[in-house]
Amino acid sequence: MAFLEVKNIGYSYSKGTPFEIVALHDCSFSVEKGEYVGVIGHTGSGKSTLMQMLNALVKPDSGTVMLDGKDINADKETARDTRFRVGLCFQYPEYQLFEETVRKDIAYGPTNMKLSAEEIEQRVQESAQIVGLPPELLDKSPFDLSGGEKRRAAIAGVMAMKPEVLILDEPAAGLDPIGRKVIMDMIEKYRLATGATVLLVSHSMETVAAVADRILVLNKGGIAMDGTVDEVFSRSDELIAMGLDVPAVTRIAVRLKEKGLPVDPCVYSVPQAVSMLLKLIGKKEGTA
Amino acid sequence: MIRDITIGQYFPGTSVIHKLDPRMKIILTVLNIASLFLCRNFFSLLLMLAISVVWVLLSRISFKTILKGLKMILVILLFTAFLQIFYNDGGTVLWHPVESWDFKITTEGVFSAIFIAVRIVALILLSTLLTYTTSPTLLTDAIERLLSPLKVFHIKVHSLAMMMTIALRFIPTLIEEIDIIMSAQKARGADLETGSLMQRAKALVPILVPLFVNSFRRAYELAFAMEARCYGGDGKRTRLRVMKLQGRDFAMLAIALVCLAAAIVTSVVDMGGFFLFEKVI
Ligand SMILES: Nc1ncnc2c1ncn2[C@@H]1O[C@H](COP(=O)(O)OP(=O)(O)OP(=O)(O)O)[C@@H](O)[C@H]1O
Ligand SMILES: [Mg+2]
Repeated sequence: MAFLEVKNIGYSYSKGTPFEIVALHDCSFSVEKGEYVGVIGHTGSGKSTLMQMLNALVKPDSGTVMLDGKDINADKETARDTRFRVGLCFQYPEYQLFEETVRKDIAYGPTNMKLSAEEIEQRVQESAQIVGLPPELLDKSPFDLSGGEKRRAAIAGVMAMKPEVLILDEPAAGLDPIGRKVIMDMIEKYRLATGATVLLVSHSMETVAAVADRILVLNKGGIAMDGTVDEVFSRSDELIAMGLDVPAVTRIAVRLKEKGLPVDPCVYSVPQAVSMLLKLIGKKEGTA
Repeated sequence: MIRDITIGQYFPGTSVIHKLDPRMKIILTVLNIASLFLCRNFFSLLLMLAISVVWVLLSRISFKTILKGLKMILVILLFTAFLQIFYNDGGTVLWHPVESWDFKITTEGVFSAIFIAVRIVALILLSTLLTYTTSPTLLTDAIERLLSPLKVFHIKVHSLAMMMTIALRFIPTLIEEIDIIMSAQKARGADLETGSLMQRAKALVPILVPLFVNSFRRAYELAFAMEARCYGGDGKRTRLRVMKLQGRDFAMLAIALVCLAAAIVTSVVDMGGFFLFEKVI
């Protein structure tokens, strides 16, 4: 039995009205403890909906979600408990800050867990350190922080619950490349410190390919692909057909292959592209 | 869920009701509601109920959608009807449990309860249909035109209409936002459903604070964006949309006026003891 197991789940919004939208249908996959899974898909493919099902915020219309062999929607207590074990950080989490000070805001989750005051304070310190918030910012109002600092404070608020599974929905949305890198490093730090399982939702294949062990590709509410980074990228042409934003080097490899050149389209980083091109040139020189 | 709130929602369509001149639609709604309040007997009430149902049929909006909107006020409806039973003690006594008490149920009480309930249902049907079939922009545009005579009194009709448009425009956005913030705080273990009244009120703080902060931020952004495009409400503005009354508008107006007349006449003139024409309220 896998650590997190999703079986045949389906979900529709506004069920029973003329506006009914099938957001997910018949999705199944499982995640092992400690895995780093990237979740990608086109806008509206159901990524956010799926992620909200993994911590019992949204109850599937059909199918089950099992954590550690237990149905997370079994009863209210289990569902609430699951929210602390599976930490979900929403898209643009900085808009959800509300407390007077950053410290209190980060402490909101742990306080709801009814932990002792010392434990809470310790967790606040730890997670602030992981996200790189200097201690002097902790006593400021979250509304006085810069955009990037707000985002970090919000992510720290989820990390402070020390979830066994950390889900981040587009944590780097709207940030520049350096900002993106900083967020990825934060996640890596948390993973190393706690051994947590991580699910990272992203539009950017490049980001996901660089960090994840495995990739789930969602398309139109269904799981289109599920495999290692190499397995998924070896079907790059399908990814492009789904309208996904594949790395520029992948696009080049696919175009070369379309032109009839003997190229493996499983290329997603610049070093890989270099070695691919070298191989290609070498071969041509050899035959010429 | 919170998203099931349909008040003020607009269902695009091409029915006769959708195509009516929005100004006329507002006038018709006001006339019909006036008739409803002038009803004194079952005859005119049933007439108004029939008119409301015909409107719904003509609009081709499914009854299911409309009934869902009614569900929201079901409690108020039942409560009002319940009180009305005891408000009127004429007619034959149906139930009088304790002789010495003044507590009894009579036929007239029951009739007036039914009367009030039907009247509220018709009222809701008519008023929701206005927003269901008219886009918010058309609606405010129509209100602005109807109120434009007030300019004589130096009332800034245009600004009022613009404020209404913006407010209507942001209702769905706010609902969506409340939904997201609630989910996000629940993900951090917020408990909105259990606890004493005080605890629940406190649990709302993490939702209301971001909601207000975000709303102010959005208001500023919108104001800057409007100013950046040189928006000014006072200057002479021409209109993109031309509104012209057509045959169907006048036909509907005629029907509404007949109903109003029927409501007034049947409640004033003695129709000779026939049940349907007896005064209920
Ligand atoms: N609250 C809602 N009410 C109605 N429909 C919704 C709601 N939330 C999402 N949807 C619809 O469900 C589908 C899946 O949405 P979801 O937010 O899960 O997509 P996503 O993959 O996260 O997209 P994005 O990359 O843009 O965040 C979409 O078609 C969307 O329009
Ligand atoms: Mg999303």
